[in-house]
Amino acid sequence: MTTISLPPAARSRSGNRSRNRYVAGLRTWRGVTGLVLVGTVALAGLLAPWLTGADPDAQGPQALAAPSGAHPLGTDDIGRDLLSRVLHGILTDLSIILTAVPAGALTGAALALLAGTSRAADLVVQRLFDLVLSFPGLILGLAVTAILGPGRWPVVIIIALAEVPYFGRQLRAGVLVQREREYALAARVGGAGRARVLLRHVLPNAVDPLVVQGAVALSAGVFIEGALSFLGLGVRPPEPTLGSLISGSVAYLDTHPVLAAPLAVTTALVLGFTLLAEALNRGART
Amino acid sequence: MTELIDRPPLADQPPSPTAELLRVRELGVAFGERVAVRGVDFALGAGESLGIVGESGSGKSTTALALLRMLPPGGRITGGAVELDGQDLAALPEEALRAVRGQRIAMVFQDPMSSLNPVLSVGRQLDEALRAHGGRRPRAERAARAAELLELVGVPKAADRLGDFPHQFSGGQRQRIMIALALAHDAQVLVADEPTTALDPTVQRQILRLLARINRERGTALVVISHDLGVIAETCSRLLVMRDGEVVERGATARLLTAPEHAYTRSLLAAVPRLDAPSRAAGNSTPGAEPLLVVRGLAKAYGPRRRRSPALESVDLDLHPGETLGLVGESGSGKSTLARALVGAHAPDAGSISFAGQPLDGRRARREVQMVFQDPYASLNPRLTVGRIIAEPLIAHKVGDRAQRQARVAELLEQVGLEASAAARSPREFSGGQRQRIGIARALAPEPSVLVCDEPVSALDVSIQAQVIDLLARLQRELGLAVLFIAHDLAVVRQVSHRIAVLHRGRIVESGPADRVVTSPEHPYTAELLAAVPSLSPATSGSLL
Repeated sequence: MTTISLPPAARSRSGNRSRNRYVAGLRTWRGVTGLVLVGTVALAGLLAPWLTGADPDAQGPQALAAPSGAHPLGTDDIGRDLLSRVLHGILTDLSIILTAVPAGALTGAALALLAGTSRAADLVVQRLFDLVLSFPGLILGLAVTAILGPGRWPVVIIIALAEVPYFGRQLRAGVLVQREREYALAARVGGAGRARVLLRHVLPNAVDPLVVQGAVALSAGVFIEGALSFLGLGVRPPEPTLGSLISGSVAYLDTHPVLAAPLAVTTALVLGFTLLAEALNRGART
Repeated sequence: MTELIDRPPLADQPPSPTAELLRVRELGVAFGERVAVRGVDFALGAGESLGIVGESGSGKSTTALALLRMLPPGGRITGGAVELDGQDLAALPEEALRAVRGQRIAMVFQDPMSSLNPVLSVGRQLDEALRAHGGRRPRAERAARAAELLELVGVPKAADRLGDFPHQFSGGQRQRIMIALALAHDAQVLVADEPTTALDPTVQRQILRLLARINRERGTALVVISHDLGVIAETCSRLLVMRDGEVVERGATARLLTAPEHAYTRSLLAAVPRLDAPSRAAGNSTPGAEPLLVVRGLAKAYGPRRRRSPALESVDLDLHPGETLGLVGESGSGKSTLARALVGAHAPDAGSISFAGQPLDGRRARREVQMVFQDPYASLNPRLTVGRIIAEPLIAHKVGDRAQRQARVAELLEQVGLEASAAARSPREFSGGQRQRIGIARALAPEPSVLVCDEPVSALDVSIQAQVIDLLARLQRELGLAVLFIAHDLAVVRQVSHRIAVLHRGRIVESGPADRVVTSPEHPYTAELLAAVPSLSPATSGSLL
């Protein structure tokens, strides 16, 4: 009664307000910088076959060559073209995180919805999340690779597994809040079953925070891949990933500074995703 | 409530000698391009009281916030002046304004539940308010003053309760504490924005009395903002009626109530339900002889197994077809628990509900008993279109195909007085009253024979209230609905109900024909409720002063 009414203009265009708020968030300097960083890196990765003719795995005669016309970023310790390896590494990383994060998000969301069905399920799901969260990321990675061995799929599984509790907990909190709102009760009184109330009424109103979590998870995905490959637990050589490139270049960094390129690209990607997450978050809150 | 010790005002500095303590000149406020308040002009002397009344969107709250320059983001004062003792607050730098806020002009807000910090003891919060303006008083003196303030606002055993936290106080007591905080520095002007809207009528009366007493005994000038004319009429000697950001009428309360000049004031007065008006339900429909819904010994408790707190002790209730049964009771009396049990939203611990002679099971309840909710904003899913919201129960009960449902939705929308084209729009585009109509259309969709209305009009402006009540009456006439009308406003309940039942601490303490319950209550609690209803009669205007 005493709330100050919104201006009529804002009211009429608030139909898809939540979407507009995210777009507004992306229009800030954080959002634009994040988009430019992620966009540039992703585009470079996607256009890898056209940007460089060199085979990323082909060994050349010259190891640790300085940048030249044939090798714009020079070569690595066993003579492979660094530019080609970085570009293809981006592609590998993107394909890993873009599989793992949606998989983790979907699993987390499914578990959160399951938790919404009964008190017992809620208890089980919560303890499950606690269990995963109680492992530090790398220990979790070690455990999974100990079972599955190193490779691309174990990395995907580790990233997805690490992200499940975050998505799940966030959605569960949203579901708990929205479920108590009057419209959910209204749907139940109207005759809708539990599943229908949960999926058609509660879920669409609770998914918004997951957008931000998604951007956070992507940056975490790049980080986890990097850490695993650095330890030699990631994608098997010779296939390039950003993590294995960093790992391979560390020893020569003081003599060949151009080998810092993979590190710079990884930093740009993580920074970009983090800025995007921050921009979306701020947009959602205004 | 402990009546106050008589003692002179504590003011360190004597009240301003000027007759015009607060002078507002041509105040204008805008949010972006939209003008929220324009040309508001009034003067207030020490010890005076002024009521600002208006419906939602009238700019009354914005005016109140502008007095202290505490407008929400986007709002700005576009013109005019707020002079406190000759000093223009609207032009004061922020730093200087902070010294004025709380010390010379203070504010009490609507919601005492969220205005107090839950993790600090009440004593700490009072202490902070006392320290806020740099008065370097010793700790013991501040503690004594805090206790004194609590006592002033009528909190029993004030000195012992300083260490208590907000959740240990009732809603009314929390509002008293808010007032104590506002009085910490003996402000010359106290602005109360809907101070009793969130409170029960009996508590409301106590708080209004307290405000009036502070005004009378301490000479604090009082500005009360409310949508409820009754509240203001009894506490304020002068009134300001606002509409669309402008003052449409001003004058002494008694004059405004007896001889309103502006057409809007007249319509506002006419729309307020009067407790002394007889029930209109009989002219609306004649209840059937056989009860349709019979409730016996209904009980429900909440909380962990060891410390269950009962919401419903044992409720017996009969509802006849075509009848409106008014259910009144204060918060915590179990009204909503009863409503939710009737619509099958939760299972009762004990007792039975039967419908047309058969036990009411979940499936049947969901068709035959439907509900209209209090909050027209929270009860409509913001992600769905109006058409989908109304069609939801049809889909859930598998009624008709898509085209048939569409036709039914259009029919329902027209039945509740909305255009069929509303179906394609989002509920956000509608006003509170229109949303309530959408909620009613949704409730009617599965063709129920019982409508449970849980405070269906308490969130609406009085003029809209009357429209929604008329709509419910028309629907009852046309469809022969049995209506359980739950509300705290006895005047509204008397107007719409055939019978009234009074719920107190989980039990029905009295029930009977509407007019009889209001005119000659049998239970002392009913009498107490009736006594607390603010009256609009000119004879009682300013009666609390």
